[in-house]
Amino acid sequence: MKRLIIFAFCWLACSAWGEAEVQLNKVEVATDLPTLARGAETVMTVCNGCHSLKYIHFRELAKLGVEKDKVDGWRGSNPMGTAIASQMPADAAAASFGKAPPDLSLMAKAREGEANYIYSYLLGYYTAPDGTTGNHYYPPTKMPDVLAVAGVTDPAQLAELNKKAREVTSFLVWAADPHAQERKSLGLYVLGYLLVFTTMMYFLKGRIWATLEKV
Amino acid sequence: MLNSILGWVDQRFPLTHIVKHELTDYPTPRNLSYWWNFGFLAGVVLVLQLVTGIFLAMYYKPDVNMAFDSVQHIMRDINYGWLLRYIHSTGASAFFVVIYIHMARTLYYASYHKPRELMWWTGQVIMLMIMATAFMGYLLPWGQMSYWGAQVITNLFGVTPFFGSDIVMWLRGDFSVGDATLTRFFALHYLFPFLIFGMVGIHLVALHTVKSSNPSGISLADKDNIPFHPYFTLKDLFGLGVYLIVFCSFVFFLPGMFIEPANNIPANPLVTPSHIEPEWYFLPFYAILRSIPDMLGGVVAMGLSVVIFAILPFADRSTIPGGARYRPVYRLVFLVFIADVFLLGYIGSQPPSGVLVPIGQAATLLYFATFFLLPPTSKLEERWMRSRGLPPALLTLFEQRSPRDKWSNKGGAA
Ligand code: HEC
Ligand code: HEM
Repeated sequence: MKRLIIFAFCWLACSAWGEAEVQLNKVEVATDLPTLARGAETVMTVCNGCHSLKYIHFRELAKLGVEKDKVDGWRGSNPMGTAIASQMPADAAAASFGKAPPDLSLMAKAREGEANYIYSYLLGYYTAPDGTTGNHYYPPTKMPDVLAVAGVTDPAQLAELNKKAREVTSFLVWAADPHAQERKSLGLYVLGYLLVFTTMMYFLKGRIWATLEKV
Repeated sequence: MLNSILGWVDQRFPLTHIVKHELTDYPTPRNLSYWWNFGFLAGVVLVLQLVTGIFLAMYYKPDVNMAFDSVQHIMRDINYGWLLRYIHSTGASAFFVVIYIHMARTLYYASYHKPRELMWWTGQVIMLMIMATAFMGYLLPWGQMSYWGAQVITNLFGVTPFFGSDIVMWLRGDFSVGDATLTRFFALHYLFPFLIFGMVGIHLVALHTVKSSNPSGISLADKDNIPFHPYFTLKDLFGLGVYLIVFCSFVFFLPGMFIEPANNIPANPLVTPSHIEPEWYFLPFYAILRSIPDMLGGVVAMGLSVVIFAILPFADRSTIPGGARYRPVYRLVFLVFIADVFLLGYIGSQPPSGVLVPIGQAATLLYFATFFLLPPTSKLEERWMRSRGLPPALLTLFEQRSPRDKWSNKGGAA
């Protein structure tokens, strides 16, 4: 048994070692509503120009605490229950960028590295010596530097960009799994109940087995 | 009132008798360790998969244009749909953890020996059916890994001589994985668990005929058997509690671990993912497939690696009971084999390049050598053990063996 555990450990260690390719920047994902609402606003005003969020409806943005006027402005004459489409039709976007921008509602769970990848990707733009813009994390990407990151050196401005990227990432993490908070809090109750149940069974089993005569 | 209803039923159907005979008073060896909890746990996991699966099927749509969205609809809009899906997707992995441990227990104690050969073989059939069910279920969410996994695995059947492409067509229902494949996989994914349920029934009837084996390896005298209830009902409930704590930790806190990021991208026949990898529970077999340079040879080796366990009742020629408990060589072989399976699993998860290729081939060789060398090694081991004199514990066990024990004459392990 001990040998097995040691072996499993080495196995995990070498698989972790094998994956050291591009180092992603770590982001601390926020779950508080004000941050999510700010992230939602950036996504709706910047990203929605090209990307859809087809599993999210306008009503859910309002529930996150985005001001009603803003939501009304984005949805126009569509009812609150409408799924969020991209402002640019997919084929028009594909024609101008060479590739249709993917839907963002599940994006935070659809890439290796998840939240860290999105955060790193958004902030990963740089200006190459020949003046073109590149991305460290997805070199051939067709998406322009939408947050205008490349070339920024002013620390205050950089901090502002990091904050914005973190808000956007946190919102996308929420969008990919809107029930995550509910899941975790229910999980605590379930585990608490199971701990009590298991402890009870442990002692009950001990007491019942103690009645067996020894051999 | 209850008693009179029970009396009425008992005159017509042996309900009380069955419950008493097969459940509450069922004689069980008192020395069973916690490794004997996993059969019961496998049953619980099967029921959980059935229940969550039936509810998922009420909202799931087996149509290439709707499948992916319907799973998201379940995750987002159905009350506790996320819980159903996470229990089901985590449950598939849990199923393999539980049955692999259950099988390893059987291997360790060599309980596949007479008279439990049929238990071993019915168990093997159950394992194959679970593998098929999990493989077909994995197509249903219609993500990139679903699609490409099914494409790659069904393609393997193309190596069949003469009928290869016909068989692939027949499995897929079309030239490539598509709507026809999705609908038939859904139909079979719904059916198979019920067949598994029936097979488990047969497995249990066999168990109640030959009774449980136990860590000492020989059949115990009557005084060492105790009624299942309350002793083992409580032990199983305690085990269930521990299992559920581990299982629920994953379901509620790390459910994404069992859903590949690539499977959150809708299936796209035009874009191949950079790295197609099966679920962890197939990785050792996948590594064997890839370690043979020839495609036909690889497929044959992979198929063989899954079914080869069936030869064990014949291949293991030792008459010393208790498996690895008393047999040092067998114990070593067991541990090396388990380590080898982990190694193959790791290799299956990596792109096949560099030193991993020869290591994978060596691990494959070791895997098969374990089985093919077992007849001579088990025989030699026994001769060596007897020439050195059997350990005292074993001698006492041989002496204590109940004369009424019809299974253990001729020194056969029970
Ligand atoms: C001007 C149009 C446009 C805007 C605005 C835009 N994107 Fe994109 N985005 C694209 C295109 C085009 C792609 C496809 C890139 C590719 O795969 O080469 C893309 C791809 C992505 C990807 C996937 C990258 C990958 O690994 O495949 C993410 C994540 C993403 N965008 C996030 C965002 C976020 C967040 C915003 C808002 C801050 C945003 N995008 C704004 C055009 C846009
Ligand atoms: C032996 C038991 C079973 C196993 C091992 C199993 C395994 C799986 C797996 C691996 C998936 C893909 C999970 C995912 O990534 O989302 C899946 C999906 C699914 N299964 Fe099962 N399953 C079992 C029983 C059942 C039963 C009995 C039913 C229905 C009666 C069922 C219905 C479904 C449905 C509708 C899906 C698609 C929804 C989804 O992807 O979550 N399953 N199953």
